[in-house]
Amino acid sequence: MRPGRGLTVTLFVVSVVYLLGALRISTPEGQYAAVGPGAFPLAIGLGLVCCLLWMGLRPDRGPRVVVVDWRAGVLSAAVFLIYLILLDVVGYLAATVPFVTIESRLLGSRAWRRDLIVSVAITASVYALFQLVLGFRLPPGLFG
Amino acid sequence: MGALGQLGDHLTVGFGAALVPLNLLFGAIGVTMGTAIGVLPGIGPALTISLLLPLTFGMDPVGAFILFGGIYYGAMYGGSTTSILVRMPGEASSVMTAVDGFQMTQKGRGGAALATAAVGSFIAGTFATVMLMLAAPVLVELALGFGPAEYAALMVLALTALGGLAGGDVAKGLLAVLLGLALGTVGIDVQTGQARFTFGVLGLLGGLNVVTVTVGLFAVGEVFWYAATRQTSSAERAQINGSVWLTRAEWRRSAPAWFRGTVIGFFTGILPGAGATVASFLAYDAERRVSPMPDEFGRGAIEGVAGPEAANNASAGGSLVPLLALGIPGSGTTAVMLAAFQMYGLQPGPLLFAQESRLVWGLIASLYISNVLLLVLNLPLIRVWVRLLQVPSSLLFAAVLAFATLGIYTLNNSVFDVFVVYALGVVAFFLRKHSVPLAPVVLGVVLGPLLEQQFRRAVAISGGDLSVFVTRPVSAAILLCALAAVTVPPVVRYVTSRPR
Repeated sequence: MRPGRGLTVTLFVVSVVYLLGALRISTPEGQYAAVGPGAFPLAIGLGLVCCLLWMGLRPDRGPRVVVVDWRAGVLSAAVFLIYLILLDVVGYLAATVPFVTIESRLLGSRAWRRDLIVSVAITASVYALFQLVLGFRLPPGLFG
Repeated sequence: MGALGQLGDHLTVGFGAALVPLNLLFGAIGVTMGTAIGVLPGIGPALTISLLLPLTFGMDPVGAFILFGGIYYGAMYGGSTTSILVRMPGEASSVMTAVDGFQMTQKGRGGAALATAAVGSFIAGTFATVMLMLAAPVLVELALGFGPAEYAALMVLALTALGGLAGGDVAKGLLAVLLGLALGTVGIDVQTGQARFTFGVLGLLGGLNVVTVTVGLFAVGEVFWYAATRQTSSAERAQINGSVWLTRAEWRRSAPAWFRGTVIGFFTGILPGAGATVASFLAYDAERRVSPMPDEFGRGAIEGVAGPEAANNASAGGSLVPLLALGIPGSGTTAVMLAAFQMYGLQPGPLLFAQESRLVWGLIASLYISNVLLLVLNLPLIRVWVRLLQVPSSLLFAAVLAFATLGIYTLNNSVFDVFVVYALGVVAFFLRKHSVPLAPVVLGVVLGPLLEQQFRRAVAISGGDLSVFVTRPVSAAILLCALAAVTVPPVVRYVTSRPR
């Protein structure tokens, strides 16, 4: 497989699944619609499949220049995912402070102490504004 | 002269209501809050106003609407700041600003980009308010003649204009639009109640929120991109070179763009459903087409900031026309404002002008005042915003993730939405890696559901006859423009690139 084709192939598979899904949409019984709920998705799905075929079959447009550091990208994405999971378990305050500190470290910061102070300050002020002033209900978790 | 005299009376009443110290205070609070929420990704004016609704229940309606008007105009301006400085649009309507605004920041002209956005917003907001006042009756009459066929045609125009927007690669621009349209079909079909592409997941029944998509693709996607390319990319940390103010040449380039953006924004804003996002897309496209140096767009053209920023502010004024005169909201924010009117037991429409003239003209007068307040507040603040650049990227981006999470969570108090944003962030990363533009995806999500409804309504009215789109003159004319938008640029490119 030529480089850069991974996305085209993946999206093509997704589009075919989408198109098959569109074919299965039917107008509910007893309802009248001049154009049913499936028509639009069908057109979009066909468009996607054609567009991706075009992209896949045309000649390559020269090499790409962006070099990606997969390890760093996956690591910071994983930490963010863990944060989202913990948010509901331990609550907003307890999850956000360590998250901001660790994530900024992963993104290249080397000043632990500053990051910790800043993340406490940000988290506390946002909490005060949203929960106490505006009356939002943030995930309470352990301390709620 | 009777009409002008009447207008004078109305304005006297309006400014009389708006200039009461308490209402002036509400206006100031409104624009400050609006600017702040515009800066935060995920939290927009519609959300803020709906949150404030219960708090304003006991208030005088005039004061409450002055507060809401200030928030609306303020948010339109505030959304530009993060777009320009860190390439993270706070709202869908400032997605276009991020394209050239961020490039300007990287070239050291971030201050000038913020200044052109501030001045452009002021001019656009003021003119839009004047037009709202003068032209409302005429324009309302014109838009009344628009049926579903015309609206559908108009949205097709907006989407195809984007084909040209994507720049060199039409296939990738088209792919982005189609992906956006596909995302827009998720959820319950409003006409028949049929669930589509929800895979039995409860959280998907309501469809994907535009805010969710914008934050996922831009804020979260941007952080993932930064994480993976920070070591390998050669991009220097942006510095501010020279003055933070506009140079003479930048003034000359901005001024016409402000006026074009104002006109495009106002008229787009009037059309129900079109709104600030479409206005900014159309303005950007127009600037690129009239520019003598179209190649500069995407690389830091100041017109690419001035036009869309003027347009999104002007559209805020424009969208108040159908809201006040017809009771039809033209955007998410005005939809919430309609709910606010109803909460006070007021029904917007022709009668509102007659029965509640202090409220209507007070709101209009307060929009002038909001504009002045915004300019006064924001021009000195440009230096403060530019300081944002000195905050280490690592810390800023980590905080953005936390803010974005919070903003999305508070939309529906749902953790599910937050995971959707995460998934979209991952998708954005891969699209970006293969240089598929992200802005058309957002427009597809915004316009897709509207286009589908209008299309189906038009066909239902015509009894299944698809020819309505070409037999109705206005619709046919708009569709011709749409066709020209995709066919003319490649032809021109072919003709001009042929060796003589």
